Amino acid sequence: MRDLLAAYPPLVRSATQLAVTYRGRTILGVITGFFPLLTMAVWLTVVAEAGPPAGWTTGDFLSYYAAATLLWNLSGDQVVWQWDADMRSGDLSVRLLRPVHPFHQYATSNLGHRLVSLTMLVPVLVIAALLVPGLDYPTNPVRLAATALALALAYAVGLTMASTFALIGFWSTQTTNAWMLWWGLGSFTSGWVAPLALMPDWVRTAAAILPFRTTMGFPVELLMGRLDVRQTLFGFAVGLGWLAVFALLYRIIWRRGIRRYQAVAG
Amino acid sequence: MTRWMRHVRILGICWRAAVASEVEYRLNFVSNVVLSMFWMLWAVAGASVYFRYTGAVSGWTNAEVLVVIGLFFTLNGLRQMLLQPNLERMTDYVRLGTLDFLLIKPFDAQLLVSLRHLNVNTLLDPVLGLALTITGVVLAGRGTSVTALASFAWMLACAVLLMYALTVSMMALAVRLVAAEELGRVTFAFLELSRFPVDLYRNPAQTILTVVPIAFLTTYPAAALLGRLNPYMLLLAPAAALSAVILATLAWRRSLRSYTGASA
Repeated sequence: MRDLLAAYPPLVRSATQLAVTYRGRTILGVITGFFPLLTMAVWLTVVAEAGPPAGWTTGDFLSYYAAATLLWNLSGDQVVWQWDADMRSGDLSVRLLRPVHPFHQYATSNLGHRLVSLTMLVPVLVIAALLVPGLDYPTNPVRLAATALALALAYAVGLTMASTFALIGFWSTQTTNAWMLWWGLGSFTSGWVAPLALMPDWVRTAAAILPFRTTMGFPVELLMGRLDVRQTLFGFAVGLGWLAVFALLYRIIWRRGIRRYQAVAG
Repeated sequence: MTRWMRHVRILGICWRAAVASEVEYRLNFVSNVVLSMFWMLWAVAGASVYFRYTGAVSGWTNAEVLVVIGLFFTLNGLRQMLLQPNLERMTDYVRLGTLDFLLIKPFDAQLLVSLRHLNVNTLLDPVLGLALTITGVVLAGRGTSVTALASFAWMLACAVLLMYALTVSMMALAVRLVAAEELGRVTFAFLELSRFPVDLYRNPAQTILTVVPIAFLTTYPAAALLGRLNPYMLLLAPAAALSAVILATLAWRRSLRSYTGASA
């Protein structure tokens, strides 16, 4: 465990250097992730024409989607594609020879890239929050600290969930498609398709116990000050519960899957 | 004319080879069809959330928005089938020097590089997209006419040309930047802007998207099909599409002049 913790900083650092070296790619990744802004733009038209839906004003939508963009750039699901590519090409064999478990190799690589994206995005968001009227977060130190924790939890749950899914690759070549199905279904309960407050009741009930809200809706709602203490604690409990579930599932599936792995090349 | 026939025949041979090599992987095809249908249902369900709170956004009802979403999937299907498999090969063409060989073939280099490969897995996507569009028209319940269908076909052809021009300009950029994967993402991002009718955005976004010409991709073809297109657009669309193709071709030729070849 201590070896592992010691390995994290240099691995993450080398990933950040990679992301900075290929900064054009990283910047494009951030810029092309504007889907939340499209949905937001339509909501703003709805507000202008039909009045605030469920009491959500223009300012609420701006604050929601600005934060949602941040969460989108914090998602760890790229690891699914990396695992898939490495299992096909046999590069996973090389990774197996290294002293750190492949999970952590992919995790550190992803974390490094995310940190660079965030470094580019956070200043933009802060400036937007200062300049755009209506885009506003009712911050206080406790809430900011809780949001920071929720962001870390969002990343951890997203990453372990994606990594667990990536292990399907030991049995099938359809991992990425399976992941997209799972992610697509989940996006209705994560707050990605629309803020959960605007979804039908049954979707909201499902969202409260499914893992997806932890990865997006929960931190955003927390930052916007829409959750009371009880709701906040419940959100953290659900997120931590799923983190434990996926960590356990990952270990079980890994043990079974790695026995089937037949490297083609490396 | 014979020159054109020859081009068509040779592309036909290329595509037959692409089909032959990919029917080996039937599971991929099935899995892709399932996923495409899923993304369409996803988009339909997602768009319906707006209409829980309003009957129409900027004059577009839910059914009419489905017409546009269907066209978005049609164009994206065509992009993934015809354009993307060629664009994504550009990095290797330049890096490995394969482009040298393609350039010396006795065939129009731009056509060969931009249309040689075909992704059979997405063959059904444009069909599924059109099916959604038709569903939208039926649900909108105002019927259609021969004029509407003809102007729709005309506008859709212009939209496809625009997509082609966009991809060729990305290929021209790829010769210099050697980053086809990212440029592919940019192409999709452009197309993604056409997921909803541009009228659903407020100004200045709406005006920008009309000028850029995102509106010509899905909004105007859909308006044509729904019989409410400004007839003036029937002339403007081909002008926009043709000038885009000419500009892209010029950009492609220009970037070839700066290409020096990595091997031979």
